[in-house]
Amino acid sequence: MSISVAQDRGRGQTGLLLVLLPVALVATLIIWPIVRAVMDTLIVTGPDGASLSFASYRFFFTDAHSMGNLRITIWTTAVSVSILMAIAIPIAIYLRFVTGRTAAVVQALAIFPLFVPSIILAYAFIRVLGPNGMVDLILGSFGLPRIRSPYLTPWGPVIGFVWDNLPLSVVILMAGLSNVTNNAVEAARDVGAGKFAILFHIILPRIWLSILVATSFVVLGLFSAFTFPYLLGPAAPEMMGPFMLRTFGDVMDPVQARTQAVITFLICAVFGWFYVRSIAKNRARREAA
Amino acid sequence: MRTSEPFRPDWIGLALVVTLSIVIIGPMLVVGLWAFAEQWRYPSLLPQQWGLRFWHQTLARPDVWTALRTSLQLSFVVTLISAAICLPAAYAFARMKFWGRDMFFLSFLSIQAFPRFGLLITIATIFLSLGLVGTFWGVAIIQLVNTLMFMIWIPTAAFQAIDRKLEEAARDVGAGPIRVFWSVTLPQALPAIVAAIMLTFVGTFYETEGAWLIGAPHVRTMPILMISFINNQLVIQLGAVLSVLLWVPSFIFLLAARRYLGPQGLGRGLGG
Amino acid sequence: MATLELRGLTKVFGATMAVEAFDLDVGDGELVCLLGPSGSGKSTVLRMIGGFETASSGAVLIDGQDVTRMPPERRPTSMMFQSHALWSHMNVAGNIGFGLKLRRLPRAEIARKVEEALTLVGLAGMGERRTDQLSGGQQQRVALARSLVLEPKILLLDEPFASLDQHLRERLREEVRDLQQRLGITMVFVTHGQDEALALADRIVVMRDGRVQQVDRPDRLYRHPETPFVAGFIGQMNLLQVTVAGGRIAHPAFDLDVTATDGPALLAVRPEALELIAGEGAGRLHRVTDFGSHAVTEIDLPGGERIKAMTPEVPAAPPGTPVTIKPLRAHLYRDDRVIWSSDAMSRTSTRAHAHG
Repeated sequence: MSISVAQDRGRGQTGLLLVLLPVALVATLIIWPIVRAVMDTLIVTGPDGASLSFASYRFFFTDAHSMGNLRITIWTTAVSVSILMAIAIPIAIYLRFVTGRTAAVVQALAIFPLFVPSIILAYAFIRVLGPNGMVDLILGSFGLPRIRSPYLTPWGPVIGFVWDNLPLSVVILMAGLSNVTNNAVEAARDVGAGKFAILFHIILPRIWLSILVATSFVVLGLFSAFTFPYLLGPAAPEMMGPFMLRTFGDVMDPVQARTQAVITFLICAVFGWFYVRSIAKNRARREAA
Repeated sequence: MRTSEPFRPDWIGLALVVTLSIVIIGPMLVVGLWAFAEQWRYPSLLPQQWGLRFWHQTLARPDVWTALRTSLQLSFVVTLISAAICLPAAYAFARMKFWGRDMFFLSFLSIQAFPRFGLLITIATIFLSLGLVGTFWGVAIIQLVNTLMFMIWIPTAAFQAIDRKLEEAARDVGAGPIRVFWSVTLPQALPAIVAAIMLTFVGTFYETEGAWLIGAPHVRTMPILMISFINNQLVIQLGAVLSVLLWVPSFIFLLAARRYLGPQGLGRGLGG
Repeated sequence: MATLELRGLTKVFGATMAVEAFDLDVGDGELVCLLGPSGSGKSTVLRMIGGFETASSGAVLIDGQDVTRMPPERRPTSMMFQSHALWSHMNVAGNIGFGLKLRRLPRAEIARKVEEALTLVGLAGMGERRTDQLSGGQQQRVALARSLVLEPKILLLDEPFASLDQHLRERLREEVRDLQQRLGITMVFVTHGQDEALALADRIVVMRDGRVQQVDRPDRLYRHPETPFVAGFIGQMNLLQVTVAGGRIAHPAFDLDVTATDGPALLAVRPEALELIAGEGAGRLHRVTDFGSHAVTEIDLPGGERIKAMTPEVPAAPPGTPVTIKPLRAHLYRDDRVIWSSDAMSRTSTRAHAHG
């Protein structure tokens, strides 16, 4: 790039000025609330001044109800991510290596949920898989017994999440797969690799990072999910999203709600860090290119 | 170079098409059926009576119109503010050098790096002390936070993608810097900017968590009304009609996204 | 060490005929170049030999055995790709040893063979390097080692040096030629560069629009082009529309006796086979370019054509000078086939150099 230094200096002030507002918003609405949340949940102001206290965290980790909610959140996350990857990876690989009209239709279908608001999906879920839903109707017309509806069970949110997150997972994986060139695959076939050898030695090592990115993305989403667990999941134990809302709104306990929020931050820290790092890296690589 | 034979039937593809159609399109069709069913009693496979009765009923409800107005107001206000403060910043990030540029740019990622609902809770507790809970502007501000990342990152990438030579050529034939921006830079980046604005608008329209957390019970947006319809199980058809109505903005977005933002671009934007 | 036979090999993509009825015999230890412009089907032929494309019809035989329906992993061929196609998540040794690993060879033997292959391509001791730490030339050497380590019967090269600079390309070309002669391996080499083909090949197959134009030794190809396309594609050639009448070509700028029936035809004369006589004639000297080793003179003919003549000396005549041209050697084409050639060219002893 060939910008003169003098021009740079003049533009430096303007640039800073232009980014000031959004940066200030991030600082006051993201960074500051997080710092406050961590501080306020750790510092208790008693009659003899402020002091460090882990009381609210101790409460969370000893409270059976809270721990049950955390456990169901982790369970839902693990199950959803596993199912999602089991579905999204084959679809992404298929879309990478097959061209044609059928593949275009598959891609359109896989991307479609991106354009369905989760609230509509939740409603559709109830009408299809809920009691007396479409599946029951179809089974009934064949004289078969009704299904055990996943509605209001832990499986409800899982199905919703998988459906809702399929497009972005496929899209992220496809972006990763675009790094696997046809020649790289052909070169492997040439030296004698069969389908499985190509999958395990050539494709998976190259999209490993994309799988982690997609996983991080989904994990972060699941830990803050509200609509699906609230509408489709059981009332108790409930996932962290509805739990935090109830603690904040109904129980009116902002300190405990913040404690719960900080705990989700900590659990997701690895994924958040990884997600940010990979985006930053991607960006640096593209800038270098 | 193609690796597949053109005439071999794509069995895997066909199996995927059938499965995905049932699982992904099927539920949407069921919602569509319900919206036009006046009577559908178990165990009939299809509605016994079709009609638009519940459309009239839904559209006659004042709470639907209030919620729609609130949602549209919020979406317009948030998108407008977001565009006004983010687009100039995006240009600055793409084309200017200043102190802390990379750090500031990456700071927008912090929105994505934390579980969002936890973030909203921490913001909500602060809003509580500021008296912003239950107000229109409280909801608007919290929804604004959600839009920052896309509104900065997508246009920045678009501005960066413009070849500087295009701008230099315009300078060369005598255009001033503002003229260059207006006649060359902006038109080149426009598709991505439009995509970002659409994404912001639609994203805000359907935003549920922040609106619920900050707005309830005074500010009711469409998704929140929908939740209450689902929870209270008033009349099944009301939810269906509302779903169809609610899907319209999303559908427009679908068409726009197809035009302006390929799936690859979307995946890259999300860090794939 | 093997022979390769292609019998009526045809490839159809949708409605386009990429390769049509391609026949070729490659002898044991021979290096054959497929030469043609892009879209001529040369890469498709190579990919059918390698098994990456299935032939629509026809057969591929290696050592007499029909491999037409065999997938690439089971063919005794090995391909070197244009983009080297190294697996960037493996180091150099990992790339070279991958095929051996799939064959479940003992570790020690893999290590030994990998080091052997590395030595062969001049990269001894670099097995632990990451592939992105290598230069473009080194990456191609690794790709070559990866192909050679499996001791293929036939090595296929798909424009392997296209992305390298001129100097490096020439060096690698020589190395490949040396290796090929030392190992006696049969090779099919695809290129769109005539220099590369002329420098490397035992025989060259010139292709156009999916069809073979001519199969010949490099020297014969230059001196006996059988079609106007080959004449124009290999080296420089002046092509003139002429009319044959009574065993003569009567052109305003020159006369030439030929053995051909009357009618229109296409005359091809190499720039170095044109003699110039300045001072009189129907041609007009347009411009002279001095290349040091030789000079190229452009001449405008009365019919509006412009031809080039290559001479050892720089003609001492200003632009506009009338000139007479005299073709020393020429070829005559009609209906896309050669119908007459002057004999003079067989007497040429030194190998003429092609200029691209």
